[in-house]
Amino acid sequence: MSQTSEIRENACLCYQCGKCSAGCPVAEDMEVLPHRVMHYVGMGMDEKVLDKNTIWMCAGCFTCAVRCPNDIDITSIMDDLRRKALNKGSKCAVPSVKTFHETFINDFCRRGRVHELRMMGEYNMKSGHPLHNASLAPKMLLRHRLHVLPPRTVKGFKKWIRRLLKRS
Amino acid sequence: MKKTALYPGCSLEGTANAYLASFQKAMSAMGIEIDELADWNCCGATSAHAVDHALYLSLAARNLELAEKQGYEEVLAPCAACYHRLASANAEFVKKDDLLGKVNSESELNYGGSVKVRNVLDLLANVIGSNRISQQVKNPLTGLNAVCYYGCLNTRIPHFKSFDDVAYPMSMDRIVSSLGANALDWGYKTDCCGASLFVTAESTTYRLVSKIIKDAEARGADCIVVACPMCHNNLDTKQADICREYEIKRTIPVLFITQLMGLAFGIDKSELRLADHFVDADKVGPAA
Repeated sequence: MSQTSEIRENACLCYQCGKCSAGCPVAEDMEVLPHRVMHYVGMGMDEKVLDKNTIWMCAGCFTCAVRCPNDIDITSIMDDLRRKALNKGSKCAVPSVKTFHETFINDFCRRGRVHELRMMGEYNMKSGHPLHNASLAPKMLLRHRLHVLPPRTVKGFKKWIRRLLKRS
Repeated sequence: MKKTALYPGCSLEGTANAYLASFQKAMSAMGIEIDELADWNCCGATSAHAVDHALYLSLAARNLELAEKQGYEEVLAPCAACYHRLASANAEFVKKDDLLGKVNSESELNYGGSVKVRNVLDLLANVIGSNRISQQVKNPLTGLNAVCYYGCLNTRIPHFKSFDDVAYPMSMDRIVSSLGANALDWGYKTDCCGASLFVTAESTTYRLVSKIIKDAEARGADCIVVACPMCHNNLDTKQADICREYEIKRTIPVLFITQLMGLAFGIDKSELRLADHFVDADKVGPAA
């Protein structure tokens, strides 16, 4: 379900006030600021930002979306740009974020619910830092905040999600 | 109260299990029973919508359809991320013509759009109310200075009438006050903790968390109160390291709102799972 055309129309409303960039908590780590991203998207020049770190550094906090004077849902435009970057195979500027999202989605697709310990282990392996935060795991287990056993399997979920993902 | 199902979400079964335990204790102390939605699935958290908008809508629709089928009018999602995903999917279904039909047909679902989604703060402040909460207080938290940290996802849903002010919410402050504690004014109520960047871009989130802790410390807070598993994890787990790196004088315990309620209701600390936190929360209580 592509949202691209609708999103472009929406971004055209941007008059570059910069409120999104002013309030963005991660703006200082971004290669292109959010209001510039809106400018590119509005102009149909999405390619300019697909390989920048901005779309992957966005924390998804929705500060920009609720502050925009033109009601542009900037956070969801970032979602759309990420999808587009993945579909096009653009170079990912922050591979750890992409790996995390993919690992998380794979994990809940197995049973319908996330098994946090397994998911974090897989993320560490895939991101090439197998021992990242490893010292935290036993402490989390002791505090009942991580579980060795996986969560209950949701009846019929696996088949449902497989059919769904095959269609899109 | 309308017929409500509890949607605990993955975190409340895992990293934020203390939130679920204390929620159940606090609710039963007030004589409120909320059944769990049967067969619920993950909402997709920060990941599904980040890379696949259609997937997040289908995940939400499946949960909301279950609630409808099981005869519930409302779904209560204590996790702010779960709440945001379910409520914003609902908001999109209302706003965009034909979207629900499209999602239903692509996902082999038949959600009718009738279910309302609430979070814990909305339930406590607007359904249960301060009066009923304060009637339950056996151990007023007099002299305890708390800052209420709402985070991002409890109030910020685009194109949706929020249950509380988006930029300067007060619902949790009112609940904390009804427990006898002082809810302090501060500047970081709705600033972002970095969410899942905590795992993937550590230095960025350390900076964000440090600002929050620094302001809480400067205001003289004895504890930070949260209503989100992600906020809790990010503020609590590495706080000692973050305080050292950013030269913050002391660490501050981070409690779920339902744990603070439990303390005021006289529920045993072990039942509220205060020892699950990394920053020692054992001394949080009325000023001596």
